[in-house]
Order: sequence, then structure tokens, then C-alpha cells
Amino acid sequence: MKKTKLGEFEELVLLAVAALQQDAYGVEIKRELEERLNETLSVGSIQSALKRMEEKGFLTSAFGEATLKRGGKRKRIYSTTSLAHKVLREMKDIRAGLWSAMPKLSHQLKVTFN
Amino acid sequence: MIQKNITPPHWPLMLLRFFVKKEYAEEIEGDMEEIFYDNIEQHSIRKAKRIYTWETLKLLRPALIKNLKALQYFNQFNMFGNYFKTSLRSLMKNPTSSFINIFGLSMAVGICVLWFGFASWVNDTDQFHERKDEVYLVTFFADLEGKEQQFGTTPTPLGEMLQQDYPQIKKVCRVKDASVVVKHEDNVFHERIRYVDPEFLQLFTFPLKWGSVNSLKDLNSIMLSEKMSIKYFGGENPLGKSIKVIFSESNSKEFAVAGVAKKLPESHSVSFDFLIHFDNQKVASPMYNTSDWNSFVNATLIQADNPSDIALIQQGMNKYKILQNEKHSERAISNFGFVSLAELYKKSMDIRDGICPPYYESNTKAVLILGVITLFLLALACFNYINIAIVTAAKRLKEIGVRKVIGATRIKVITQFLSENIFVTSFALLFGLLFGIFLFIPGFEQINGFSMGFKLAQPKLWIFLIGILFVTGMISGLYPALYISRFEVVNILKGSSKFGKQNPLNKILLGFQLILACILITCAVMFTQNTDYVAERPWGYNQSEALYAEVHNQLAYEQLNAAMAQNSNVTSIAGSVNHIGKNHATTIVKLPPIKEYEVQQLAVDANYFSTMQLTLIKGRAFNQHPEADKQAIIVNEEFVKTLGWPEPIGQQLEIDSMRYEVIGVVKNFHSYTFDSKMQPVIFKVANKADYRFISLRVRNGSERETYATLQTQWNKLFPEIPFQGSYQEDVWGGFFEKIKNHGRFFQAVALITILLT
Repeated sequence: MKKTKLGEFEELVLLAVAALQQDAYGVEIKRELEERLNETLSVGSIQSALKRMEEKGFLTSAFGEATLKRGGKRKRIYSTTSLAHKVLREMKDIRAGLWSAMPKLSHQLKVTFN
Repeated sequence: MIQKNITPPHWPLMLLRFFVKKEYAEEIEGDMEEIFYDNIEQHSIRKAKRIYTWETLKLLRPALIKNLKALQYFNQFNMFGNYFKTSLRSLMKNPTSSFINIFGLSMAVGICVLWFGFASWVNDTDQFHERKDEVYLVTFFADLEGKEQQFGTTPTPLGEMLQQDYPQIKKVCRVKDASVVVKHEDNVFHERIRYVDPEFLQLFTFPLKWGSVNSLKDLNSIMLSEKMSIKYFGGENPLGKSIKVIFSESNSKEFAVAGVAKKLPESHSVSFDFLIHFDNQKVASPMYNTSDWNSFVNATLIQADNPSDIALIQQGMNKYKILQNEKHSERAISNFGFVSLAELYKKSMDIRDGICPPYYESNTKAVLILGVITLFLLALACFNYINIAIVTAAKRLKEIGVRKVIGATRIKVITQFLSENIFVTSFALLFGLLFGIFLFIPGFEQINGFSMGFKLAQPKLWIFLIGILFVTGMISGLYPALYISRFEVVNILKGSSKFGKQNPLNKILLGFQLILACILITCAVMFTQNTDYVAERPWGYNQSEALYAEVHNQLAYEQLNAAMAQNSNVTSIAGSVNHIGKNHATTIVKLPPIKEYEVQQLAVDANYFSTMQLTLIKGRAFNQHPEADKQAIIVNEEFVKTLGWPEPIGQQLEIDSMRYEVIGVVKNFHSYTFDSKMQPVIFKVANKADYRFISLRVRNGSERETYATLQTQWNKLFPEIPFQGSYQEDVWGGFFEKIKNHGRFFQAVALITILLT
């Protein structure tokens, strides 16, 4: 776990890339996350997260097609690597394990949140 | 859909392309553009552009931007740190030459700061008025002695007519100045008062200390400047207090103080002492008629929002020109013109009788002269610096050699010397600023008797200073840096490099420095000599041991004459309508059949020539019997020269269709300062009822005593009226003081020059 160095925001971006598959390029990722998180994100934050994770080997990318709306500039389609899948699954397992370890606490938490 | 003509804002796009890593540029630019066009469909174009700009700025993150060259320089921080250390060391090693360097440069910088303060004082004049671009002064052009001249006065009815005829003119304000006596309890003084329309304070936005702008609408209100408020009431709030304004012997009125202006910014040309409602002129002279084209007001100001309105009004001015020239044919108007308040001060030298005081005229010239001196001094300091730097660098040859051996390129050595230089210059800049603020500016203000209101907190000053830092740093450092870095390592280390001798450019630089110094010192000597010369230059009559006083009527003259005649120190008393150095009348002299000359006329009594000791070189003075010489005139040499008479005595002239005969010629004399040209002058016998001056010749050494007696007598006879008189020597006011001050200023410059060399 300690080797992965995956931040919370990075994890969300990574999940979004995995979910979007062929459509995973900058604007679409931003749109998807904005919708789900219900807040506005800046291009800069998404892009820097993408670049960081590419460097760490969680993502690979290739140029996609160009559209008129982009002024003839090509998209860059991101796809997750197997390392990413492994790490994501690990994160999920760790979380699930923790959730199942605190049945009593969850009840109290509910009270506070309501 | 996408509209082709709408594109993302330009500069953020450039920023993006510049900063973002090349390999990411296409993708990110495309993303940004896609979002931009999405946003256009949802928001306004402006908002979309705003979002784009903001997003671009947020893109500037370490993960996305290039490794800029500038950032790489941070690695060289150590190098600059080392330069800093070595420059400090070399400064400490040669304390004398570093002191001379820094001191010289800071003197020059101090003078620069002074120049900047003075120039901004001149250029900011009147710029504090909020409506300076909307307010215009109405002027007219007319012929004056064969040349077209612009006048700042206006026919009285014009203001009202303009307002009726043009709805574009939002406000009109007439200004009329008058001399009055102002009295509050025991304080009685002669003052200048301004009759103005209530709009005056809306056009000229003088900030008020007490009271309100609108109070001028009340006919019984008076508005004071802060200076006058202190003069009459001390520091307390005078609102509601009453002030008596004595317009003439028979007319006076009580006014209630309704407002006091704040102390004006130092750079102003238009100001006031007292303001009262324009209609009060009817109180001062019941015959006053505002529709009389023969009378003039000192200024008419109009406010129009658009400059184009002024062009429109300008086209319609012909109507008034015809009206005016019909009624008032003496000086035919050729055209009207408008000058905006923002430009008024700069143009005031071309406008005759404007509301800007004329003594500001010389300032533009003064800024120029001071600028040249500043440049000279700065150049001198730079040359001085270069010469010293080259000599001291000889001691550092080994250091340079070692640096080169370690691997410093020539560029590196140049950079080292330049950065050292900038470092030294910034020291000089700091000291120079201190010199300027605490020494030069107060000194200059004291010499010239004004305050320029210098402020540190103005961005222009700092830009100016940083400019000076780099310019002087580069100029003074570039040549030494190039020169020193050129030496071959081998020669340095062998010790065979000879320094400074074989290079002609070094000699030229040294020579240039000396030449500059000589020029400045010569200027100073010349000015000092000129001051001495002017002080001893004869006036054409004996100005010392003479006193004068202004009298308000014949009776006052008789009473004062009687009182002073008993004084044993007084040797001669004269009465006159005009007085040398104070005023004259301008008259047209006709030489039949067609020749006409404009001359200065002084109406005096028979004693005037002996009292003022004017030298008669031909003919005789006036007869003691006033009726005897009614048709006689005495002229000066200049007059004879202008008319080209071989024998002036007995010549006949015509003034106001009366015939006169020339009976005497006096030596030329300087009526006003030496600056004004010698003018033809005539003397006529004065009518006793018109006497306005009394002049006294006193025994040598008794000037002070007699002057005191004169004042005492006056206060005894006329306690209600302030005394206005002086020594004849002081009649030119601050003229000598001014000349002396110029001399003193140049002496200071010379001193700095000597210190620099």
C-alpha cells in the first residue's frame, strides 16, 4: 500500500478514466467528475493529476481524433494500466475491510451525519 | 454552434503557449478551447472569456509548465552571492575610492531626484481639478502692436449669452478681480477679491475645509482661502463670522463667512483669496451693467462634456465677434478661442491677462535647464566612476585571472562586473535619495522661496529611480567590464599586462570628465559675476535714499506732505499720478501728420525730477507753477532715439488731440527690472487731484528712521487704511533676491562638481 502514493483526488480521476474507457480525455473526465462530485473543477487540477499519474505509471495515453470544436487540435485519450487496476482494487479492499471492521461505529456515524 | 469570429482571448492563449510544456500544449490548448466554446453556449461571451483567462492562470502549475531558463538561473544564485561578497570586499579594500564613487554618484542621483520633484511639480499644476478636461477658458485673439495676441479676458455679456444660446454648455462662470480693503475687527488689509458666479467651486474643485460649495449662491456669503482664514481668524473655524469688505470710500458691505478652502496642493496656478457672488459688483459700483460690451471680466469659464461641443460652439462664435466689434471698436477681435483647464497652465505664457499668474512662465525653461545640469552631473559622475573603476580594477587582475582559469568565460566576467556595479549604484541610489529629500529639495525650496510638495509615494518616482539605477549602472559599468574582461589569462598571471597606459579611450574619458567639470564651474563663475554686476548696475536715477508711499486721494497727499515736510531728514517731496517702478499709463503720441508711437506716460509734479534724481541732459524741468507747463512734456533718451530727432527741444507733438512741446530730455532709466526692454517714456504735469504717490528724498543714513516716521504718520492720519509704501530700492520686489538665488544655486552645482572631480 505504502508504495502506491495515490492521493484522493488522483484516485477519483483514475476511476473516472477507467469508467470512461474510450472517451477518457481531459474535458470528458472533467465533465464526468464535476457531475458526480457536484462541484466545479479546473482544467489545471485535472491535467496535473493526469500528468502525475502518467509519470507514476498508472496511465498511458495516445492521441485521438481532432474535432472542429477543438480548433483542429487532437484529443489525448488516457487508459489505465494493469498497475492502476491492481492499486485501485487494493484500495477498495482495504476500505471494504475497514468498513466491515466497524459495524458499531457506523451506526453512531449515521446519527451524527443526520 | 461555433461562431468563427469568436476566439479565446489573445493574451491568456499566448501565456498558455509560452508556459505550458511543449508536449502537452496541443492537448491542453484543445481542451481549453472546447470548454471555451461550451461556455459560450451557456454564458455570455465576456463571461466565457473571463473563465478562459482564469482557467489559464490556474494551469500554471509545476507539473504542467516548462522548466524555464529563468528558473535554471536560480542554480547560479551562489554565483551571484559570490559576486555580492567580492564586491563588498573590494569596496572595503579601497575605502577612499569607493567613498568617492558612491558619494559622487549619490550627489548626481540627488540632483536627479530634485529635478524629478521640480518637473513633476511643474507638470502636475492644476491637474487635481476633477473637471479639468471639461472646463474651458474663453479667450479671444486681437491685434497687439502688429502681432496677433491671445487674451484671457472676455467681454462681460458673453458668458450669459453663451449659456442662453448653447444647451451643450452645462455651466458658466464669470470671474472678476478687484482690489478692496477687508476689515475684521482690528485686522484691516488691502486684498484682491474675486467676484464669481456660484458655479466657480464646481468648475474648480478646490477641496473645502469648512462650509459647503453651494453657499456661494447667497449674495451675503464670502468664501476664504485657508491662508486668509488664518490671517483674519487664526486657527479657529470662522463660519458665520462677519467680514466687512470696503469696495470704495462710499461703498462697503458686511459678509458672513460661509466656507474656507483647504490648503491648496502645492502645484496650482489658479487660486483665490476671497470669493463673493458676482452680483455684488452692483454693490461695489451701482452703475455696473452686465450687458455692456465695453466692460471686460477677468475670465469666463464654461463647462462642456464633449470636446466636440467646443468645436461646435467655436463655429458659432462669429456672431459674438460681430456684436463685440460693433460696440467696442478700439481693439477689434479677430477670433475667439477655448483653452481647457488641463492645458491652461502650459499655455499660460501665450495668453495675456489670463487668470494664471505670469511668473510661472519661466518654469518650463527652468525644468529644461535643470534637466541639462542634471544630465551633465550624472554624466560627470559616470565618467568619474569609469575612470576610478579602471584604476582600481588593476588591483583585481589576479582575481580575474584566477576566475578565468577556473573556467569563467568573458561573458561571466562581464556579468560579474556589471552586477557589482549595479550593487554599488543601488547604494548610491539610496544615499542619493536621502541627499535629494533632506538636502537638495529643501535647499532648492529655500533658495527659490516655494514648496514643491515632494512625495515619495508615487509610482512614477520609483520607475524613474529604477531607470536611473540601470542606466547609470550600465553606462558606468559597461566599459570597465569590457575592458577588464579582455585581458588574456596568461599575460595576467605572468604579470606582463600593463594597465591603462596604452589605451587612448581611457585618456579620452578622463579628458571628457575634466571638460564637463570645467563647463559647470565656468557657468557658476559667470553667474556669480553676473549677480555682482547686476547689483551694481546703475538704474538711471538714484534709487537709494528714496522712499515712496501710495495715497488714496489728494487730501491724503496734502496731509502726509504737511506732516513729512517738517521732518528735517526729508530734503524733497514730490507728488505724482504714476511712479517709476510701480506703474505708468500707456499713451499714443502722434507726430503730425501720420506717425504714431505707443509710449509710457508718467504724470508727475515739478519736484519729481529732483526727488528721484533723474538726470536732465537737455532743456529744463517743469516750472513750479502748475499751470505754466500744462502743454509741456519731458522725454527720455529712448524716446528721442525712437523718433530720430537731431534736436528734441522745442519739437511739437500731439497727445489726445492736444499739442505739446518737448522742453527737456532725461537720461534713460530702468523703470522695471533689467529684464524689460528700455521703453520710450514721457513726463507730463500731473493734475493735483489725481496724485496717487508721494515720493521722498531723505538725507543719507536716515532712510530707516524716516521710513518708520512715515509709517507712524500714516497710521496716525489714516488708521482705517493699510500703509502701502517702501524704500525705492525695493520697488522691484524680489528681483535681486531672485538673481542672487540663481547665483547661489550655480555655486552649489559648482561645489558638487569640484567634489566629483
